[in-house]
Amino acid sequence: MKVLVAVKRVIDYNVKIRVKADNSDVDLANVKMAMNPFCEIAVEEAVRLKEKGIASEIVAVSIGPKTAQEQLRTAMALGADRGILVETDEALESLAVAKLLSKVIEEEQPQLVLMGKQAIDTDNNQTTQMVSALTGFAQGAFTSGLEVADGQAKVTREIDGGLQTLNLKLPAVISADLRLNEPRYASLPNIMKAKRKPLDTKTPADFGVDVAPRLKLLKVEAPAERQAGIKVGSVDELVDKLKNEAKVIS
Amino acid sequence: MASTPPAHHRTIAASQQAELVAFLQDTLGPKGVLTEKNDTARYCIDWAGTTGATPLAVARPANTEEVAAVVRYCHQAQIPIVPQGGGSGLVAGALPDAQKAELVLSLERMQRIRHLDPLNFSVSVDAGCVLQTLKDAVEAEDFTFPLALGAQGSCQIGGNIATNAGGLNVLRYGMMRALVLGIEVVLPDGRILNDMKALHKNNTGYDLKQWFIGAEGTLGIVTGAVLKLSPKPTSTRTAMMACSDVTAAMRLYAQARRSCCDLLSAFELIPRRCIELAIEASPELSDPLDTPYPVYVLMELSASGPVSLDSMIEGLFEAGLTDGLLLDGVLASSDTQANQLWMIREAMLEGQQLHGLHLRTDIGLPISALSDFHQQASAMVHAHSPESEVIAYGHVGDGNLHFNILPPPQLNEDEKAAVLHNLEMRLFALVPQFNGSISAEHGIGRLKQAPFLETLDETERQLMQQLKLLLDPDELMCPGRILPRQSQRSSDSVF
Ligand SMILES: Cc1cc2nc3c(=O)[nH]c(=O)nc-3n(C[C@H](O)[C@H](O)[C@H](O)COP(=O)(O)OP(=O)(O)OC[C@H]3O[C@@H](n4cnc5c(N)ncnc54)[C@H](O)[C@@H]3O)c2cc1C
Repeated sequence: MKVLVAVKRVIDYNVKIRVKADNSDVDLANVKMAMNPFCEIAVEEAVRLKEKGIASEIVAVSIGPKTAQEQLRTAMALGADRGILVETDEALESLAVAKLLSKVIEEEQPQLVLMGKQAIDTDNNQTTQMVSALTGFAQGAFTSGLEVADGQAKVTREIDGGLQTLNLKLPAVISADLRLNEPRYASLPNIMKAKRKPLDTKTPADFGVDVAPRLKLLKVEAPAERQAGIKVGSVDELVDKLKNEAKVIS
Repeated sequence: MASTPPAHHRTIAASQQAELVAFLQDTLGPKGVLTEKNDTARYCIDWAGTTGATPLAVARPANTEEVAAVVRYCHQAQIPIVPQGGGSGLVAGALPDAQKAELVLSLERMQRIRHLDPLNFSVSVDAGCVLQTLKDAVEAEDFTFPLALGAQGSCQIGGNIATNAGGLNVLRYGMMRALVLGIEVVLPDGRILNDMKALHKNNTGYDLKQWFIGAEGTLGIVTGAVLKLSPKPTSTRTAMMACSDVTAAMRLYAQARRSCCDLLSAFELIPRRCIELAIEASPELSDPLDTPYPVYVLMELSASGPVSLDSMIEGLFEAGLTDGLLLDGVLASSDTQANQLWMIREAMLEGQQLHGLHLRTDIGLPISALSDFHQQASAMVHAHSPESEVIAYGHVGDGNLHFNILPPPQLNEDEKAAVLHNLEMRLFALVPQFNGSISAEHGIGRLKQAPFLETLDETERQLMQQLKLLLDPDELMCPGRILPRQSQRSSDSVF
């Protein structure tokens, strides 16, 4: 069974985000980039399927700038067999990504598509669902447990108030939640091997997909600084402040 | 000095204590002095859980002038003082000694970052500023203050200066001493030495500030400092590599320094057992490699410019494999993974702590002697206490080996202490054979005094005693730390 994993290049989770001085966007100059943590989980799951003998080939796909090759190499160091970069410098919206992925899926014909449940930069949480709609693949979003057998994927989903178990008929697209697994480290021998794995580069034009944005980013602002707390002397003072300053009681 | 009875022999009368407290309340205000046992208790225990005696009081001055006023008063009244930073020192130097005999002076209210000079690559701070706070503040301005150690969330700049702290990045940036450009000290008689010049070069006479760096508070109270900054690295790579033994790890070190443009910023030795200890303390951590190996090296490269650290690490790894120095390795692919690798380094200390009584040492060695020392010391432990367990890790890139020992677990506490004491003496006896030091970075304090005195020759001993008496003739500042009180000398067999 062929598995396709989507990986996105995003600002490293540990970086303290800075906003550009003119509020036009997040400042990406000299900022450490990494694979989206949920995509790492998706890659790990694919690798585990291969180790169990369920997956026969893992194809990692990234859509983004040339530098996203680094994340594809990481995916290959972790165990993906080859990579496909759909290269564009456009700031892509979920729908454009979903359309491009659908085209890649059409070409590659995987039985299973694994993705992160959301990217930590834009937090959209839409692409998996859109890919499912565009391809007609069964959909399992927010997956925290996965078993694949007999042409079916048994998916445990984290939903409000509990867990839901679904049986999906393959082909399916599944998005990884935090608790699906714990990703491994890329070993240095595998990093070296990954350098020799094939990496194809395509463009949105190759697939005839228009990626022009439909939304306009107006402004990015940092969250307001939290004010330092104060100590109140008495219950009366507390009530007074809650009423007249915080205005949370009346 | 001759007419004054030595400080430590004097019991401080209750009336004298009351006068002191009244003075402190007057001078420092209500926030500036603590006397209730509940309030002072946290100043009498350190990170390792060692407890000290009850102090006369805890003074919490808010600025240098207040520190000087307190010191002047105590000088006049002949009351010993123990300056205290974050209480993370590992040799019990900051804990009050005899019962109700010392005033603890905490710098914790002096936290101001005074001035950052971007072109001069320097920042001036109050001594009570917590290391992490300073690191975060300068990082926001695209600088790094490279001192990095496990206790950085609690230790203070003054404490770092007093202990000449080292830590993870010494091999690239030096110890605290290399990072101090200027200093402000309240001397034991209350005078203020103001040497807060932000100069990278200054050869005018004796370099007085050096006396106070690493003096563990025995020569005066550091109240401020000018520190050297470096550009914040824009890229960092963290790798954990597996080796067959310590010798291979040290050969890898030599190669790493040379082949990575000298951009190595950390090189930590971690034996297999420490990975298990880390996971024991923090079960959410996982073994980074899928097969166990005898020893690991946690290394970091960092740079603030357009160089490819990846290709350096990969090149080093390939060469290491070819030369047989390396068996395996992982490279963190994100800062998150890098932090997880560093968490192993932190959690292993907690894991060690979970095993109760153990011997902690802090040995300094020529880098070239480290692996031989490791071998001989391990053989010594095995010969004298085969059931004891050696846990030797450390900043080996600067020849610093924490050669620690867990005693046989089935022994009772007294037996464990006896075994460890015996092994410590034997271990320290080995150190001079390798031209090493019994304390690379933690200092002497009260805990390492006896073995320290053994290592001094007559000239060193005299100079150290004379320096102490020159600055603190009444022995009121951190008395009995580093050197025994000299007024006690004749009755002290070690001295
Ligand atoms: C988990 C952990 C990891 C550590 N790792 C390292 C490491 O990697 N490298 C290393 O070098 N050390 C390490 N240490 C020990 C190190 O010495 C301290 O963490 C730190 O430098 C001490 O600072 P502090 O503010 O806590 O000082 P304290 O413990 O409060 O005091 C230490 C000594 O300095 C004196 N002192 C404190 N402040 C002043 C002042 N303003 N003026 C004069 N004297 C003063 C005290 O009297 C005492 O003698 C570690 C400690 C812990 C707990």
